[in-house]
Amino acid sequence: MADPTNYHIVVIGGGGTGAALAYDLAQRGYRATLLERGELTSGTTGRHHGQLHSGARYAAGDRSIARECMEETRVLMRIAPEAIEYNSGLFVALTAEDEAFAETFVESCAEAGIPTERLSAEACLRLEPGLNPAIRCGVRVPDGTLDAWRLPLHFFAAARGHGALIRNFAPVVGIELDRTGVRAVRMRDLRSKREEEIGCDLVINAAGAWAGQVAGLAGVSLPLTPAPGSMLAVRKRLTNLVVSRLHPAGDGDILVPQRGLSIIGSTQWQTDDPDDVVPSDEEVEFLRESAVAMVPGFAEAPYQAAWAAVRPLAGASVDVEAGRALSRDFVTIDHGKNDGVGGLVSLIGGKATTLRAMAEQAVDVVGGLLDVSRECRTAEYVLPSHRAYYRNHATEPERSA
Amino acid sequence: MSERNRTVAVYRNREVGFQEFTVPENERTTVLDALEYIRARIDPDLMYRHSCHHGSCGTCGCAVDGKFVLSCLTRLGDLEGDVVRVEPLPTMDHIGDLAVDPTKFFEEFPEGLTYLRPSEVNAKAERPEDVAEYTRFENCIECGLCVSTCPVTADFTGPAALAAIDREIEKHPEREDEMLDLADGKRGAAACERALNCSRVCPTGVYPAKHIAFLNRKLGKRRAAEKE
Repeated sequence: MADPTNYHIVVIGGGGTGAALAYDLAQRGYRATLLERGELTSGTTGRHHGQLHSGARYAAGDRSIARECMEETRVLMRIAPEAIEYNSGLFVALTAEDEAFAETFVESCAEAGIPTERLSAEACLRLEPGLNPAIRCGVRVPDGTLDAWRLPLHFFAAARGHGALIRNFAPVVGIELDRTGVRAVRMRDLRSKREEEIGCDLVINAAGAWAGQVAGLAGVSLPLTPAPGSMLAVRKRLTNLVVSRLHPAGDGDILVPQRGLSIIGSTQWQTDDPDDVVPSDEEVEFLRESAVAMVPGFAEAPYQAAWAAVRPLAGASVDVEAGRALSRDFVTIDHGKNDGVGGLVSLIGGKATTLRAMAEQAVDVVGGLLDVSRECRTAEYVLPSHRAYYRNHATEPERSA
Repeated sequence: MSERNRTVAVYRNREVGFQEFTVPENERTTVLDALEYIRARIDPDLMYRHSCHHGSCGTCGCAVDGKFVLSCLTRLGDLEGDVVRVEPLPTMDHIGDLAVDPTKFFEEFPEGLTYLRPSEVNAKAERPEDVAEYTRFENCIECGLCVSTCPVTADFTGPAALAAIDREIEKHPEREDEMLDLADGKRGAAACERALNCSRVCPTGVYPAKHIAFLNRKLGKRRAAEKE
């Protein structure tokens, strides 16, 4: 068995996935460097809707994804409780069709290990008086709200505490290969405007919707379609619980309360360019109407912001419906096996809720490639505060979760 | 939706000063949208901080036409003048273009401050048995705009950290003594000059000046009690 301290791993991409990877690698003893082209979590992660998924939304479509969400929700509540408003969630039926879906929904949740509570319309309104009084019934589930900036910052702080080097404003401009595979990455430091070559034993591509571009630097084709989705926030917190439509997962059907805001999302379209995406007028109007249908007070609340976040869809051209199902899963790709480029691994897809589990899976794959047998222990310790990323990050002691 | 062009002057560095860019603008376009456009279409090296795009993370603070704001909530259409001037926050270490390093800002926050607070929303509504208390994140998004606008030139803990310390006392009265120790002394709450700039500039209604006044009152009471 090999010693992980002999290996230098470069993670490309400073979103939630990269944050969890850097922590997992450093905790298992690897030397880890993370490179992010802009500010940390400035791509997709930070623009996340903010829903902590119990998995209820996915249960009818895929029990195993749902089960994993529930398990990771429990882990995050132990290791990062300060990044989560854990007030539970309510799926509400607006139509007879929604109401008829309740049975399937509750059964699927049970099969995925997600506790539910069926509620009459009156009981829903007693919990959330701002709901549309015409709702027919509801189901309460263990959803929550996460802080899309501070949750990954907890992981970045832990990564730094374990010695990982985190470099922002550091776009990767090249991946250097020798006959066995990846030898180094070339990075352009935007602070100094100089290019650096960083020698490494393995690269993990965690660039999300930009992962196709990163793989391309190593001559590997990774067919991903950037698929933006839009959100709309108003300046009033209307509920304590996350409110979702009780129907098969669709557009504009989740209203997430966060701090003093209410945020409705999402939509999905496809684009060639993941940069510079903004919502259309039609989307903003659609989102507003969808929110008002569930919580009428949304109509009068002042506008805060409308923005889009880009998910990576697997496959170069997949239709939106198939894409939605695909995009909720994550996959670790060993490009040594797949494409003959050793020392390159891509971790694609996933959700904010499952960031820790994604990293665990990918670093297990890395361990297999490098013959390192160190177990993942990221579920066992309380993460340092998000502020610790900037402040005294090396000094906070580890506490068991 | 009507589109038109707008000139945005972005601070780059001492040598270049401001560089002007032309960006498309509609009713919703924010300063951050403009920066995203510039980086995607004109200059991929442009450095600026951003994350959530909806006033929740606190990373995108900057000076727009001389006012300290979050770039993600500042719409070009609400700004007068043909040219919009964007500069980095002056109180944090400058690392390039509009980007700053917030380390000094975060170093003022003591360890162990909580970030969740009880939710005041629908206070009279029923609560499920398995939810002990509805919670939500603190209003303060730690953007540093208050520190940037504060006129105090002496060494000072600053409005953001002091407000967080007072919030901790409000949530956990049992920690009052420990927290007051942190707010006491020459660089603590006593250094506040009561300009109230911090409360005016805060994008999330924290009113730091009010919390500093509360701290001074609590400190005064404690001193009086110690004398007795």
